[in-house]
Amino acid sequence: MDNLDAARMQMAFTLIFHIVFACIGMVMPFFMVLSHAKWLKTRRPEFLTLTKAWQKGVAIFFVTGAVSGTALSFELGLLWPAFMKHAGPIIGMPFSLEGAAFFIEALALGFYLYGWNKIPERFHLFTGVIVGLSGMISGILVVSANSWMNSPSGFDYVNGAFLNIDPVKAFLNDAWFAQALHMTLAAFAATSFAVAGIHAWQIYKGRNTLVHKTAFNIAIVFGAVAALLQPLSGDVSAKDIAYRQPVKLAALEAHYETEKGAPLYIGGIVDEENETVSHKIELPKMLSFLAFGDFDAEVKGLKDFPKENRPPVAITHYAFQVMVSLGGLLVLAALVYFISLKKKSWQGSKRYWLYFALMAPVGFLALEAGWIVTEVGRQPWIIHNVMRTKDAVTPMPGMIYSFYMYVLLYATLTVAVSWLMARQIKVLNQSPV
Amino acid sequence: MLYIVLLFVVLSFFLYVLLGGADFGAGTLELFSGPDHKKSIKKTVYSVMGPVWEANHIWIIILIVVLWIAFPDFYNIIIVYMHIPLTLILLGITLRGVAFVFRHYDAVKDKSQHLYDRMFEFSCLVTPIFLGMTFGALLNGDIQTLEQAPNANFYDLYIYPWLQPFPILTGFFFSALCVFLAATFLIGEAKDYEKRMYMRKAGIAIITVVVIGMVTILTGYFQGNEFTQQFISNPLAIGAVILSGILLYPLWKVIQIGRVIWSRFLAGLQVLLILFAAIGTHFPYLIITKHGSVSLLDHAAPDKVMKVLGISLIIGGTLIIPGLLHLLKSFRMIKVLEERD
Repeated sequence: MDNLDAARMQMAFTLIFHIVFACIGMVMPFFMVLSHAKWLKTRRPEFLTLTKAWQKGVAIFFVTGAVSGTALSFELGLLWPAFMKHAGPIIGMPFSLEGAAFFIEALALGFYLYGWNKIPERFHLFTGVIVGLSGMISGILVVSANSWMNSPSGFDYVNGAFLNIDPVKAFLNDAWFAQALHMTLAAFAATSFAVAGIHAWQIYKGRNTLVHKTAFNIAIVFGAVAALLQPLSGDVSAKDIAYRQPVKLAALEAHYETEKGAPLYIGGIVDEENETVSHKIELPKMLSFLAFGDFDAEVKGLKDFPKENRPPVAITHYAFQVMVSLGGLLVLAALVYFISLKKKSWQGSKRYWLYFALMAPVGFLALEAGWIVTEVGRQPWIIHNVMRTKDAVTPMPGMIYSFYMYVLLYATLTVAVSWLMARQIKVLNQSPV
Repeated sequence: MLYIVLLFVVLSFFLYVLLGGADFGAGTLELFSGPDHKKSIKKTVYSVMGPVWEANHIWIIILIVVLWIAFPDFYNIIIVYMHIPLTLILLGITLRGVAFVFRHYDAVKDKSQHLYDRMFEFSCLVTPIFLGMTFGALLNGDIQTLEQAPNANFYDLYIYPWLQPFPILTGFFFSALCVFLAATFLIGEAKDYEKRMYMRKAGIAIITVVVIGMVTILTGYFQGNEFTQQFISNPLAIGAVILSGILLYPLWKVIQIGRVIWSRFLAGLQVLLILFAAIGTHFPYLIITKHGSVSLLDHAAPDKVMKVLGISLIIGGTLIIPGLLHLLKSFRMIKVLEERD
């Protein structure tokens, strides 16, 4: 593995982990606050038990998200110094605002975690709301910085120099709305299904069902609504990519040939050497329609782009297929949940709980696949059509060792956090309301 | 706007050293204490720093973000040539952060607490040492860039500059400074026997600070490092260090009569004076390489970037600083002490 590949693997690896921690840290406060509000309203003990159990989860995930985020803020420079040198001043605005939002989140969390019986009840709840909102805002701001890499704007690129920098324009780049919307919904869907799934498993096992059912009902509502909205935001994203990054669209759909009325490929095995896709199902004219809203629109194929400007097609295409299929499973699960609100008997069946327990990892798998689509699909560029990833990497050799260290660190952290969560649930089950 | 941005750079740096440094120091203090004291330090640290400890560490993120936005060329040298110590700092920050949370939020209290404690204590010791080493390396004058030395090998570029006596001593100096801060901050939270323990530890820490500080300066002087030469011939820097030393007397007095708020401000001020002396000597030329100094202001970002950043920082600051003060006030840092005073 050469230095560039090692740096890319390290970046991918740390992002894959950070995203999970960060999403949970961003979405779980909303569950916690809702449960807290219900406790204040009804004074039913299960809401208090749940709020206190969830706040420990929030604290653990917030910190793991925060430290892995601190690591990332260093890594951007440590791994891609040439990128940060030029891009830093341009996309600094969302990062500095994100710093502020994150700071507010940390302060509010300080109040929330240590505020029980110390500060007025309503103010206490309010600090919890701030934790949720500031977390969500910082997520959106970071995505805006990422979307700039896909849709660079707010500067003139003249002979290798970045001139006439306009940070506000860079911040509000063309891709940010589509990406921020898609990511926020994904965070809600992934976290909600994961949390709901964990509680569904406890119900399936018959442990402390009152608390776990309360938890399931709070979490699943967020997830179900997000999952149903996600295909709409996916459509916004697809149209945006088709317009701005046609080569990425061609890669994620694995289209080599330029054609009018292009079909949508479902599945398929990509042969990058011979530039063909076999074993696929074709839906006639659907790609033209989905990308451009016109059944006969022309979709540019990969062969129209120079080879050195094409992203790795197979990975992008497979990741895209995985994301869409898993997203479909989430939509189905959302429908099952909404129907079960009418057909109460469903929730009496053990199979219902097993089904949601099995759905627990689906959202996160879809979310990771989605990031692979957007990040691998942007290659070979770190800034689309401006700077290549290979020109941004650190001149320091031996990045492979750094990569090994991070693999070890994050793998250990994942095991540790999962183990801690299992212990939390065990204790929660030992003290039924 | 440039000055507002610079103000935030300096402010974040100072606050990180003071607040983050005190956090690191508390863990180091715990490491160097017997089993009985360990328990009580752990408890005190949790009640004092628990609510603010995460906020304390965000200053370094603010510092990094402001550096990379506003002073990209300066940041670039640090991030490329200090890659290894920075990675070790990151490792320390990560392990310390998770250990802190694990030991307080693990639902079951068993043998694993022991592991979290050791993880917490060791990363509290090691992280400020590497932070200090990085800072020392920037000032020591052994850094060379690839452009300056295209034929230099890996060791010369990425290891040698920070693995030298001066940076290593700076690392230990900073670690001792953190312990001094922590011990002084914690005196106000303890009573009787424990209070005497913190006083004793603060005393040991300050002696260590002075001794290591002297050795560091002597080392710099005898190896002829440019920073030290200028440091000892700069009346402002020497004045600040002397003032910091003189303040030890009132600090000792206010601790004895139990004026806890004053003791915290005085200890903080002493550390600030030392930092001021170190930074002020060479400001804004804070990186000294083999081939000349690099100014913080070299190739600063364009005016428009500074303007937007300055405005963002002002908005962020007006939201954050009152929030931080309110948090400190609500959770004893100020309030309880006021009652005692």
